[in-house]
Amino acid sequence: MTMALTAWLGAMPGFMTPLLLAALGLLLCERAGILNLGVEGVMALGAMVGAAASLAGWGPWAAMGAGALAGLAISLPFMAAVVVFRAPQIPAGLALAAIALGASAALGREASHKPFPGLDNLDWFDELDHLPVVGRMLFRQDGMVYVSLILAVLIALWLMRTRKGLRLRAVGEDPATADASGVDVQLYQLGAVGVASLLIGAAGAYLSVGGSNIWTEGMVAGRGWIALALVVFAQWSPIRAIAGAALFGGAEALIPRLQAMGVEVPVYLLSMLPYVLTIAVLVLMAFSRRARQAEPGFLGRAYIRQDR
Amino acid sequence: MLDAVTLERRQGAGAVLNGVTYAGALAVGLGLSLAVLVAAGVPTGALFEELVVQVFLSPAGLARTVTMATPMMLGALAAALCLRLKFWNIGIEGQLWLGAICATGVALYDIGGPLKLPLMMVAAMVGGALWILPSAFLKMWLGVSEVIVTLLMSNIAFLFLQHLLFGAFGDPTFNFPTSPVFDAGERLVRFGWGDVNGGLVLALLAVIVAAVVLGWTRFGFAVKIAGDNPRAALALGFPTARVLLVSILAGGAMAGLAGGVIVAGTEFRLTQAVGWNMTFNGIVIAALARNTPIWIPVVSLFIAGLYAAGASLKVFYGVSEGIVLMAQGIILLALVTGSFVTTYRVRIARRGLA
Repeated sequence: MTMALTAWLGAMPGFMTPLLLAALGLLLCERAGILNLGVEGVMALGAMVGAAASLAGWGPWAAMGAGALAGLAISLPFMAAVVVFRAPQIPAGLALAAIALGASAALGREASHKPFPGLDNLDWFDELDHLPVVGRMLFRQDGMVYVSLILAVLIALWLMRTRKGLRLRAVGEDPATADASGVDVQLYQLGAVGVASLLIGAAGAYLSVGGSNIWTEGMVAGRGWIALALVVFAQWSPIRAIAGAALFGGAEALIPRLQAMGVEVPVYLLSMLPYVLTIAVLVLMAFSRRARQAEPGFLGRAYIRQDR
Repeated sequence: MLDAVTLERRQGAGAVLNGVTYAGALAVGLGLSLAVLVAAGVPTGALFEELVVQVFLSPAGLARTVTMATPMMLGALAAALCLRLKFWNIGIEGQLWLGAICATGVALYDIGGPLKLPLMMVAAMVGGALWILPSAFLKMWLGVSEVIVTLLMSNIAFLFLQHLLFGAFGDPTFNFPTSPVFDAGERLVRFGWGDVNGGLVLALLAVIVAAVVLGWTRFGFAVKIAGDNPRAALALGFPTARVLLVSILAGGAMAGLAGGVIVAGTEFRLTQAVGWNMTFNGIVIAALARNTPIWIPVVSLFIAGLYAAGASLKVFYGVSEGIVLMAQGIILLALVTGSFVTTYRVRIARRGLA
């Protein structure tokens, strides 16, 4: 039993990291008032570009960077549409998802089904990873797992403890007031969506470069939509996003383990849990006034100065 | 940024500006899509042949396009009926799967005797409507965003579909997750023109009913007022909640019917591939048709033609079908960006007056 528990906990961070990276990106977007439904496609492109870069002989970290940059590049038209031209964010996001998904399929055929060397686990803690139960989870992971956790903490500190973070939150909460107090609303929105696109692209690249060391079409498999749910689940807080990603990633890691042990489980019914939980959280939030205020007040709406 | 530029909301753009903007955005979107096709390796000379002649002007090609367009019309209705009331249905696929599941259930368990086929279609509509109900309920009574709930319900529906295909609905004779094949009495009639089937009649009927109800009845007028200005609708004493609920459930029912039409009209069994991408197709078609039912069949034919052409481009030029998805995305993005022109008026502030 201890063996199985150790193996499950050891696998969890690998499932957790792409969700956390994508959710952090979405969280920044939404804190700035921009709803980004393109996440599934941007992740798909990041995964493909990360794999293609690895196959071209780039190192794993460089390949992750390439995936992040690809995420930013494909998101530029979306940024122009929603921030500059105030396009309705929902269809614009869906269009971005389609363009990026299509591009990953069209450009990635050369890179499909070819294994490559990916991120290795760190060997800094060689003595510690033999600890029972938690050793593997805490100390036998690749560097990106630790980087994503550090990023979550840094983003939380930046959002909640710095002047610029306060301005970004104000832009998503009440852009008219932010504007009147001299904050450049659109500049903050562009910055937020730009950084978010990098993070979402990196999340996708982690799936191929950090996780499976191979790229196949459709490998994102709805994780982008899970990340969107995760942001709501975490009530727009980066620290809570860590807990949420651990929960969702843990659920994802659990199912293959149970199957391997020969436990008869209704796999597909179990896989519904994250979604059902998120709907439950939404309902609970609706009843709690404090939680209701967690959602950025101007999320998904276009701001123009005339409306002040 | 750009503090010299101020935006003002227009009080309704004129028909000319609307038309010109729409045509311009469509032209830009199509032009970029064609450029992508050429970049992907399709010779310029073959574009007209592949995108027009093969999918609209040859009888067999047109039959393929019409067959593909049939469920798309219903999917687009599912998007448009909800969107008229500013309800974003991002879960069309989920409602479609539930419709397909319910129709398949009626077929597999032999319910309804001589009325089995009509019952399958009714079950499909009920399944779709039931699946959108939680999203409608949470939106109307608790103010929960329908965008995320419809999406989540869609994911749950797909897992439910897989649960059934690997279990109760599975066909043990296949190694592939699919239901048993439907009997003759569980299939929609074919007209002897390719795979075009009775689903087309149902889809066109649904479009006509929607157009008549929205354009000619008191209910349709209430939909218009409640969609444009919910507070005014309430103040005027319109039954806003009822109008909202009925429209959204009708939208879900249309998506469910699309699922029923796919399993009983073309596939003759339930598979995981049913309804692939219908959420996006429905929203693109609804956007291009401006949520107007009468335009939906025309736009559906156009989008189905893209898919039909994509299938043959894949065979002849090795172009990935991802290109079709890209083209749709580009056209939609051009369209929503173009709405800037009709929504806002740009004023350049003179120096000293800013």
